[in-house]
Amino acid sequence: MTIYKPEIAKINRIEKLTKTESLLDIELLSGKSLGHQPGQFVEVSVFGVGEAPISISSAPSDLATFQLCVRAIGNVTSALCGKKPGDKIGIRGPFGKGFELKHFKGKDILFVAGGLGLAPLRSLIWSVLNSRKDYGKVYILYGAKIPQELLFKEELKNWKEREDVEYHVTVDVGDEKWQDNVGVITTLFPYIQFDPAKTQAVIVGPPIMYRFVIRELKNHGTPDKKIWVSLERKMKCGVGKCGHCQINDIYVCQDGPVFNYEKLKNLPEAI
Amino acid sequence: MKKMKNCVVTKRELLDLIDRKIGEGKEVIAPAKQENQANFKRIKSTREILWEGPQTVIPPKAFLFPQEEELMEYEVNDEIKVKVKVEGKPIILLGIHPCDMNGTTLLDKVFAENNLDEHYLKKREFVTIIGAECLVPCSTESFCYRKESVLPLEGFDLFLTDMGKNFFVEVGSKKGKSLISKIARKTTPSDAKKLRKIRRVRDNLFDKEQRKLKPKLEDLPKLLRENYDSPVWDEHGSRCFNCGSCNMVCPTCYCFDVRDYMELNLKRGNRTRFWDGCLLTDFTKVASGEIFREGRGARLRHRTNRKDWYLFEKWERSFCTGCGRCGKACLTKIVDPLDIENELYDRWKR
Repeated sequence: MTIYKPEIAKINRIEKLTKTESLLDIELLSGKSLGHQPGQFVEVSVFGVGEAPISISSAPSDLATFQLCVRAIGNVTSALCGKKPGDKIGIRGPFGKGFELKHFKGKDILFVAGGLGLAPLRSLIWSVLNSRKDYGKVYILYGAKIPQELLFKEELKNWKEREDVEYHVTVDVGDEKWQDNVGVITTLFPYIQFDPAKTQAVIVGPPIMYRFVIRELKNHGTPDKKIWVSLERKMKCGVGKCGHCQINDIYVCQDGPVFNYEKLKNLPEAI
Repeated sequence: MKKMKNCVVTKRELLDLIDRKIGEGKEVIAPAKQENQANFKRIKSTREILWEGPQTVIPPKAFLFPQEEELMEYEVNDEIKVKVKVEGKPIILLGIHPCDMNGTTLLDKVFAENNLDEHYLKKREFVTIIGAECLVPCSTESFCYRKESVLPLEGFDLFLTDMGKNFFVEVGSKKGKSLISKIARKTTPSDAKKLRKIRRVRDNLFDKEQRKLKPKLEDLPKLLRENYDSPVWDEHGSRCFNCGSCNMVCPTCYCFDVRDYMELNLKRGNRTRFWDGCLLTDFTKVASGEIFREGRGARLRHRTNRKDWYLFEKWERSFCTGCGRCGKACLTKIVDPLDIENELYDRWKR
């Protein structure tokens, strides 16, 4: 056994969420539970193609399986999305630091997800919603480029209908059926009235989004230490050796991918 | 490292001993002529060894962390079988200079930290390192004296200093001790005195010949921290060809890429790691096309900061041993850490 040897896992189910994203239900053949923290990631092997870091999209509450939401964009992810139920893949991990629920318990929580950023954030959203009474108010802001790219449409409906969640959605460009907001994610902020002193804000999205959402949060008076982000980087090893994910002196695969903004703001290469 | 008793051996006896080992089939790797350059390679006789340079193009890290290293092989049928390849074979690395021994010691640290990299550590376990002290500078680019790297920190089995007819031998391990137990004799006060003199002469020579490092060695992390936004990075970076040569020839660069290879039958394949380099454009590029360290100046800064700030602070030791290979390999002569640090120092608004 070495740090680079993947465990064999089986794909139980594949659901196509959009043209490019699929949701995979995965089970370790050993029967062990993955035992992850929301926000952590795994290194996924498609033997013969390669390995790629993918964040875990399900809450840890399901012990038998876990879910990955994969965008078919590179070699490994395209191969993954082309798999069938019953196919075997390799898994290493979980790796990195995720969201520690103790920082969120008892607080109001503002989730801000852009595009595929909902995939990692979903693991935290459901961890919170599964024990809803342990948390204060919950806001979810979600943005995508076009309505066809929205992920987890059934769950979005659920969040919209729930009385204990304030959910708002936006797209950059709507279509004739689109009735919700049109505009970048920051245009959703006028819909909500959150208390910056009581709220933990969690942002996951494409790199460009962080700058604007963080500025918006700061304008509302959110302190740095109440802002959390998860960062994407190239990763090969997942264990702090290969060097690709480094941001200044830290390794995203070890110290992240989840960071508190208080720490991140001192790393010029981060955002 | 536990200090063991030093000793003295005659050169002839030691070289005969090594040649006998070679004759018995032992793999001995030493700096020797390759094409028209020097490189570490398997030697057939100790007569091939280039004791005083020229410096090898590639550091000996290639024997512990090969440029291409199969991590595992697998078979994909109904079941997937993965066989990890953690292998080492007994070799002697002979004639390694202090800059490279210190480089190896630093690699030992990073590969053994937290998540053990058994592929490296297994190879390391089987290697015997016999170092050789430098008494003349090996190139005009080297600046080992400025990086306190003219002597090894640790991480050797034997360390030889040329004293004419004899080698003065520092013994760094039991493995080293037993290798020479039959030919070693005790040191005398005059040996010790002679060694001190040799080193004094060497220090003077290196101090005279090697380029000066203007900031104090221990101030490098601070210098780099306070000059993060210096125009020097882009001035140098704008001339970078992104060739990655500096990374490849560095005794302490250890970043790697990993790739899968499948045989034509699509049943058997392997996963192999390769040296990668932070100066290469694609080093931080993800599948969506995003490059997280864009700009040649930023990449040059990252490499320099890693050597003399990030890893320096973490391990309390510069990760540049002053071997000078990067400066020599750089096509446009922009990467040399000593040049950069001197320039930052000169222009530092203190």
